[in-house]
Amino acid sequence: MQRPDRREANQIRSLHCMLGQLSRVDGSAQFSSGKTSVLCGVYGPIDVKVYDEKLDRAHIEVKFRPDIGVPTTKDKWVESAVRSTFEKEVLAQLHPRTLVQINLQVRENDGSVDATAINATTMALVDAGVPMKTTVAAAACVVLKDGSIVADPTKEEAELAVSTHTFAFANGSSDGPLYVDSRGRFSMAEYNRCYDLCRLTCDRILAFMRTALESKIQKESAISAV
Amino acid sequence: MAAAETTTPGQLSFAIETFERIHPTEFQRRFLSQGTRHDGRGFAQFRPTHIVRSTISTAQGSATVRIGNTTVVCGIKAEVSEPDVSTPKAGYLVTNVELSPMCSARFRPGAPSEQAQVASEHISRLFQSAIDVESLGIEEGRACWVLYADIVCIKHDGNVLDAAIVALQAALRDLQLPKVEFDAVSGVVSADKSKMQPLEVEALYPTTLSVLDGNYLVADADDAEEQMAASSVLVVLTDSAVANIWKRGALVERKLVEKCVAMAEARKQELATLLN
Repeated sequence: MQRPDRREANQIRSLHCMLGQLSRVDGSAQFSSGKTSVLCGVYGPIDVKVYDEKLDRAHIEVKFRPDIGVPTTKDKWVESAVRSTFEKEVLAQLHPRTLVQINLQVRENDGSVDATAINATTMALVDAGVPMKTTVAAAACVVLKDGSIVADPTKEEAELAVSTHTFAFANGSSDGPLYVDSRGRFSMAEYNRCYDLCRLTCDRILAFMRTALESKIQKESAISAV
Repeated sequence: MAAAETTTPGQLSFAIETFERIHPTEFQRRFLSQGTRHDGRGFAQFRPTHIVRSTISTAQGSATVRIGNTTVVCGIKAEVSEPDVSTPKAGYLVTNVELSPMCSARFRPGAPSEQAQVASEHISRLFQSAIDVESLGIEEGRACWVLYADIVCIKHDGNVLDAAIVALQAALRDLQLPKVEFDAVSGVVSADKSKMQPLEVEALYPTTLSVLDGNYLVADADDAEEQMAASSVLVVLTDSAVANIWKRGALVERKLVEKCVAMAEARKQELATLLN
């Protein structure tokens, strides 16, 4: 089966990540997969509102803004997805009675936005120096009408899909998922094939994240050495 | 005091209710480590579920669902409106989940909480594919049915999402729409209330499972258990396929999700008999 952009079925779009673009936040990252691009700015740990204050850990807040228009319940849904993914991965107990605020802004939406938002958040949290158990990567894939599975779908491909699957995995040895959102009509066999594909994709994304962080650190140490 | 006399000096003793309040996690853990739960249920056991249809006579379709102490009422109001420009042949379903301070002390009056908005959105996405939206069209580009589904939680004792999905499902099956005629000249839609017809709804069977204290997988968590859950898995099945797997929270083993789907299959039989 030929994909509109001539990619292989298991091929993701080219990844791009820029760190520390924003100067007023504690950490920021722009993560792009093909045309889809999400900008993330992280503040934290900062002062928390009394209502949200937690005595034994930091409160984690996520704000997600779409590329067009004002935020709707759809965006609240993404906020909750991102928060639930990072709530247990950020070492929140190290900063009790504080707030870690994650601000996400979609720059362009060409499919797989949820996964890209999670990837951007990981990079921004690392850039901000927020302590985490490990890095997190997310990937999406769709099952098309003919039963074929394609990785990192564009908006056009996602609209034609019978089911869409988004998985997030933590970097490390454990093989379990951190976040799963599979919707549409599918069988468990299809789910497992999507799981395997996204697991492989996430490993690639995690390797990419590592390279992006290494090159940033190298650049910084080169500057400080001069 | 009799209780104080029987304890050895230096040892604290207090009522079980006090223990539950000051150490909720440890309280639950004592039950879980004994292979049971604080309300006496087994790990895979669901609370008694009741579905009553047509509970609101003023709504076109309605249902009340109880899962243990959790109570959710769903009412559907059908209105005629203009279809969306992008889908001129289809009508639409608007879902709204209300979690008011009436159902739990955790909710504040005012704007809907995040939990309520997320539940509304999730349910709306689920049902988009369960009903044939084109069957809600009346006249292409001119008129269509809009179903406003208000899902109100009256008692919040955990697992509201399951109850809300079942309630909307039952209310949609209860819904009767009159046969309508569209007058192209005047643009008026006239209804013939003597000819009512039901809406085709694909069955959705939701099951929520929670992971407590690291490694206990429990079905249908109540409010106290939900508060300590590290992660939760929602599985929605149709008669022939899986419609949704939604796992949030801490890392779980891959096999666990598959186990959840197997448990959802068992629950599906139970729900199918209740719904039909």
